Amino acid sequence: MNITDIQARCDRVPFFRFLGFTVLQANETDLLAEMPFDERHIGNPVLETYHGGIIASFMEAIASVHVLDDINAPPAKPINLTIDYLRPGFSGKLSTRATILRKGRRMASLETVAWLEDETKPVAKGLFHFLLV
Amino acid sequence: MSDIQDQARFAKIADLWNSRAKGLITEMDLKIEKADREGVRIRMPFNPNFCIDEEGTILHGGVLTALLDSAFGLANFLAIDDVKTMATLDLRVDYLRPAISRADVIVTADCYRQTRHIAFGSGEIWFDKGDKENVARGMAAFAITRGGGDSLLDKLNTAGPGG
Repeated sequence: MNITDIQARCDRVPFFRFLGFTVLQANETDLLAEMPFDERHIGNPVLETYHGGIIASFMEAIASVHVLDDINAPPAKPINLTIDYLRPGFSGKLSTRATILRKGRRMASLETVAWLEDETKPVAKGLFHFLLV
Repeated sequence: MSDIQDQARFAKIADLWNSRAKGLITEMDLKIEKADREGVRIRMPFNPNFCIDEEGTILHGGVLTALLDSAFGLANFLAIDDVKTMATLDLRVDYLRPAISRADVIVTADCYRQTRHIAFGSGEIWFDKGDKENVARGMAAFAITRGGGDSLLDKLNTAGPGG
């Protein structure tokens, strides 16, 4: 799958347009995307940080796209997720990388990491399970 | 605190939460239906922007996660008298069935245990269409700081319009 096709698929999803991310890189194991900060992403009205649910949604979105076998495959079904929030999600461009840990015939497990400026200082890490059947 | 003081405080927090909300909370158009020490119930109307299909039939799971996170925050705020700051430590969500409905979404959440530094929350989501079958369930832990005077309530009170 090339990133133009992946982006085109994402652009057909209303909620992905709401998030407003761009896919930057895709290979066998990793998918990388970035999202500019927007007022509608705010969670804490005093600090104007990202809503934890927006960070989670961004990570789930790119994980759900990354797990697809081909660009026209039906959406994967999310089973559950675990997210560790490691640092404050201050306003700014947010990057997320999804990595496939294991993909079987029925299930897939993906790890995600989100960061602001420095990938070695993540804002959050996530673990997502998807049902593929 | 007396019951009457409690009620006034809950009403004030709910009112502030509504009036001072920004960003995603505003986009989600949340309506607080119940807010006290025992927990919260919040209603979110259907919004086609939160769907994964152009036809607007299936909500994205991330929206449910965001709803739970928001509800946990409010529940902590109500249950912990002197909360100063609050940060989500971790969040776990199970998606129990596909979120296929245009009915309003209802989320309930409660802070079922608080220590000096940590608050534990649990919550459920269903569609307001009779069966009340859970669409998602979540658990979260929050890192909190406590302190008089400079509480989160005061900060929300004094922050000017627009943050």
